[in-house]
Amino acid sequence: MINLISPSKIFKWIERLMNFINSIFFVVLIIGLTFALLISPPDYLQGDSVRIMYVHVPSAWISLASFTCIAILSILTFLLKIKNLNLISKSVAPLGLLFTFLAIVTGSLWGKPTWGTWWAWDARLTSMVVLLMFYVMYILSLKLIKDEDKANQVSALIAIVGLINIPIIKFSVDWWSTLHQPQSINILNGSSSIHSSMLFPLILMLLVLLLYCALIFLMKYKTEIIRIKKKNVKRL
Amino acid sequence: MIEKLIYMNGYGLFVWLSFAISFFACALVYYKTYKTLKKYEKAFAKDLHKLSESQRKKVLEKSKVANQVFASYNKSI
Repeated sequence: MINLISPSKIFKWIERLMNFINSIFFVVLIIGLTFALLISPPDYLQGDSVRIMYVHVPSAWISLASFTCIAILSILTFLLKIKNLNLISKSVAPLGLLFTFLAIVTGSLWGKPTWGTWWAWDARLTSMVVLLMFYVMYILSLKLIKDEDKANQVSALIAIVGLINIPIIKFSVDWWSTLHQPQSINILNGSSSIHSSMLFPLILMLLVLLLYCALIFLMKYKTEIIRIKKKNVKRL
Repeated sequence: MIEKLIYMNGYGLFVWLSFAISFFACALVYYKTYKTLKKYEKAFAKDLHKLSESQRKKVLEKSKVANQVFASYNKSI
């Protein structure tokens, strides 16, 4: 199993996967944008501002999923001492930061016409800012600490501590009386209060962003593998 | 039709700005990631070039990663 995730084994698949994603990405993007901006109907309460949700919601999901993934990989790294898991975490982190930033910015752009304010120190919004800070700390610890082993340990610790924030973000709308509306989709039991005419574009845009994430992740992961091999070129 | 698409009943500015910011942020990250990957590929291939013929042959036989990077770099130049 451990051998299966060795960089050398994975490397030959990276190029093929990248080519496959590149070949379908623009088709899926155009279909997704057509549904999100043209075909899907305006909401009876939010009007056309609901279209912002087609970027905001998938971004928020990806930001939470990325951090959970990093934290779980960090715990596994501590327990199993597999260095390759660190490479995966490092490659996921910039994506998490990007989508947390996008979730906050697009949420703010939705908040102005809907709530009448760009920002409120609401539980969900504040916990998302905390998540952004954890991402920044995680990436900075990897960049600023020169000793690689120490950098990996510190960043893993940040990820594990930051994991506490994930259920806070998820359940903040249930635990506190917040400006942010409660969840419309429950992934755990598969229920949704969103009409299919809006759910379909949402899923399509999620697919677009997931394909983009896969592409960036593969490029980052490939860079990390080459960086390590380059360091030990004479010992290969 | 086009006017309706642009103005979106007064929400156009917010909707288009959201999509534009997302698009540019994603494009920027893609560009930076791609540039970094190419930079490392080039530097690694150069390091392999610097090795003696026999050393390079040994490395390319042993390491699949080195082999692929070296091959794709030679193809691109």
